[in-house]
Amino acid sequence: MAESYGQNCNRCGFCLSVCPAYQAQGAEDTSPRARIQLIDFFADHKIASSEKLKDIISKCLMCGSCANICPSGINHPERYIRMREKMIRDHGDRPEIKSLVYLLAKESRIRMAAGAAKMARKIVPDVFASKYKLGNIALKQFPVLNTVPFRTAARAEMEQTPGQRSQGASDLAYGRVAYFTGCATNYFFDDTGFAVLEILRHMGLEVVIPGTQTCCGIPMLYHGGRKKVKRNINTNLACLDAQGIDAVIVDCPTCGAALKNDYPGLAKAFGLDLDRANRVAEKVVDISTFIMNYARPGDVVQNHEAVRVTYHQPCHLRNHMPAPGSAQALLNTLKGVQYIPVPDMDACCGGGGTFFYEFPEVSKGIAENKVANAKATGAELWVTDCPVCRINLGGYLDDAADLTVVHPARLAAQFLPALKGQKG
Amino acid sequence: MIDPDAIGRLKEIVGKDRCYDSPEQLTCYCYDAYFEEAMPDLVLFPCNRDEVSGILKICSARKIPVTARGAGTSVCGASIPAKGGVVLCFSKMNRIIEINTKERYVIVEPGVVNADLQKALAPFGFFYPPDPGSMAVSTIGGNVAQNAGGPRCLKYGVTVDYVLGMEVVLASGKVVRFGSRNVKDVTGYRLSSLFCGSEGTLGMVTSVILKVLPQPESVSTLLVTFDDLDNTANAVADIIGAGILPAALELMDKTTIRTVEENAHIGLPVDAEGTLLIEVDGVKEACDKEIQKISEKLEANGAVNIEIAKTQEDREKLWQARRSVYGVFAKLSSSLYTEDIAVPAGKIPEMTRRIVDIGEKYNLLVGVMAHAGDGNMHPMIPGDKADKAEWARVKKAFDEIMAAAASLNGTLSGEHGIGLAKTEYLPLVMDEDSVAFMGVIKKAVDPDGILNPGKFV
Repeated sequence: MAESYGQNCNRCGFCLSVCPAYQAQGAEDTSPRARIQLIDFFADHKIASSEKLKDIISKCLMCGSCANICPSGINHPERYIRMREKMIRDHGDRPEIKSLVYLLAKESRIRMAAGAAKMARKIVPDVFASKYKLGNIALKQFPVLNTVPFRTAARAEMEQTPGQRSQGASDLAYGRVAYFTGCATNYFFDDTGFAVLEILRHMGLEVVIPGTQTCCGIPMLYHGGRKKVKRNINTNLACLDAQGIDAVIVDCPTCGAALKNDYPGLAKAFGLDLDRANRVAEKVVDISTFIMNYARPGDVVQNHEAVRVTYHQPCHLRNHMPAPGSAQALLNTLKGVQYIPVPDMDACCGGGGTFFYEFPEVSKGIAENKVANAKATGAELWVTDCPVCRINLGGYLDDAADLTVVHPARLAAQFLPALKGQKG
Repeated sequence: MIDPDAIGRLKEIVGKDRCYDSPEQLTCYCYDAYFEEAMPDLVLFPCNRDEVSGILKICSARKIPVTARGAGTSVCGASIPAKGGVVLCFSKMNRIIEINTKERYVIVEPGVVNADLQKALAPFGFFYPPDPGSMAVSTIGGNVAQNAGGPRCLKYGVTVDYVLGMEVVLASGKVVRFGSRNVKDVTGYRLSSLFCGSEGTLGMVTSVILKVLPQPESVSTLLVTFDDLDNTANAVADIIGAGILPAALELMDKTTIRTVEENAHIGLPVDAEGTLLIEVDGVKEACDKEIQKISEKLEANGAVNIEIAKTQEDREKLWQARRSVYGVFAKLSSSLYTEDIAVPAGKIPEMTRRIVDIGEKYNLLVGVMAHAGDGNMHPMIPGDKADKAEWARVKKAFDEIMAAAASLNGTLSGEHGIGLAKTEYLPLVMDEDSVAFMGVIKKAVDPDGILNPGKFV
């Protein structure tokens, strides 16, 4: 091989059994094994760069399940990222995806765009909003932008009602945590953000929301913007590597995976401070795991009424985070939650970052069974950690479906004693 | 190259969405789980028997090679289109047509994935016994074409023992049916058995009637360590001689144990000469009794240590070593050559020693795993395919392993098949007339030799 990143593919085909794209399409060219062969053939000049090649390489949800099962230990996502970069360099990308990469590279740009989008939404008549679609998702079912970005709103709230530092959880050295909110919570899902905040403060922790944090960089990494990610990594590491912090809390598994698994390698590749990246990586933990590790009896109590819940496990949580069962453990802990598991709880939802938008037909093929099975449980809430899964699955649930997708923190926040009866 | 007119007509049959002709897509069908590559000219995804028949009519009229493919997990290169032409990929012909557990059969299309069939049978309390290592992705069509086995086939038998009947499209496009839904059926030649293991050289299977079994109510597992390889084999012979047929009897040699332990750190006894993983299934009381009897036989043969799983968790732990082997060896070098010779079970110690000697002679690491009850052995040699000198040594080592197996009344392949990998070794185990007889059958069924050309027949 002209260009090799670690192991060679033995072509055993085990990856086909876990690849959501292959499972939905049943054709080798949608499989991880084929992508790796094509990447090797391309490197060996046995196949030329083409639009078609780009299309095959891009038709992948970047879920990481192939790397997880690979007996040869191939790092598929790393190899896909490199190949996508080359393909996008040769053949460009859709304008809207290019703008996304441009936006996410700088926080001020994201803020501006969010503001503009909000204005646009206000002047688009409802009839258009329900007619137009992003992939399979009608615009009217797309999440509404937060009125104020969550981080701004949260800081304002914390100033009004300072935290109770003295009651810090006993197992923690400082009683202080940093909260990496991710773009989705900041701009779309402030309900998740406020829930995380309420839980952490209820646990007696001081919550720091670093003001300079920005996009974790994963969307850029997946869309040919590998070099642009350097600045994001540097900015995030600088604000998260603070003294006196017990943990860096994430609510999004993809952000978590980036900070925990990808940053050290990328920091090294970009010549950034590797020690700093490792220090941060070690402290990164998702909110459900953090609750399960540090909540004291009494932090979370019996709820006023029973709620029927099912769960979707995001791929990045399962494949990249150390305790992927935490959200389900949390559901089982909350007395008043009737957790109804579905057998395909861990099957990919077809979201895959921008995949649902780029390949709506494939995405739909992946999602349909899953949605039907979740509906069949009769649950009221469909709990999932990942904001893209939430957008994607939510897109299949119109007003008639009596099922709402929420973050586990949003559900758990309903069980805090102080808030009992206040939250619906 | 296929002439444009034929391509046009073939495309018409399946429609453009189920026809691949771009170099990028064709490249995805130039390989399977073996080491070689050959480009097809066209990949077609039929959805029913009539499409298969239509395709074969055109191909036989124009003498276009046709190679069948399921999930492309053949480790002998059976699904590589060695002479180009059409790859007929059955992955979209994947309906389970009927499940009838009262009469203990299922009818499936060839593209049904083995594991999906198991999943569909589980709610009925039934299962389909053949369990090749690729079962999570490999298709029933491929399993039938390769007469696939698996660990539990010692007790239950291999694919051919479960094929009751099938529908086949011949090279001419003609559709024929063999067998029936009946376990007892001596109506004419048992032709479904001929097609089973024929590696797509005789016809295209378009539906299969398979026998299925009720799941055993209980499973018991033990792991035993020996400090002598002969003791290991004698214990195996004694267990089977006592009338016990375990559902699994997996042997690992010294090199395998040490290599797994060095890389996976799961607490294996590194000074052991061999371990056996033994699993019995059936009625709970019978399992208990068998485990006790097995333990006695093991002790009588000088077992150093016996661990019996008490819980499902224990059971997983005992299987962990066996399940880690492939991954550990696959990571040792850029390629991994896994073979599957079979010898009479009593010859396992001798065969293992010969394999170890051959490895030493060519300065290669060789781990030996075996389905010890049926003598099906998997020597594994990690090597770098790009290192021509090393790969040549790997090849020579396998030449000698084949010859050694043949000299011990063994055979070339227990469950993987011949494909591209082992055609050259056929004379070691079959005389000229026997090989020629296969040619007679092939010629009668596929006179122009369009079905999977370039393989063993």
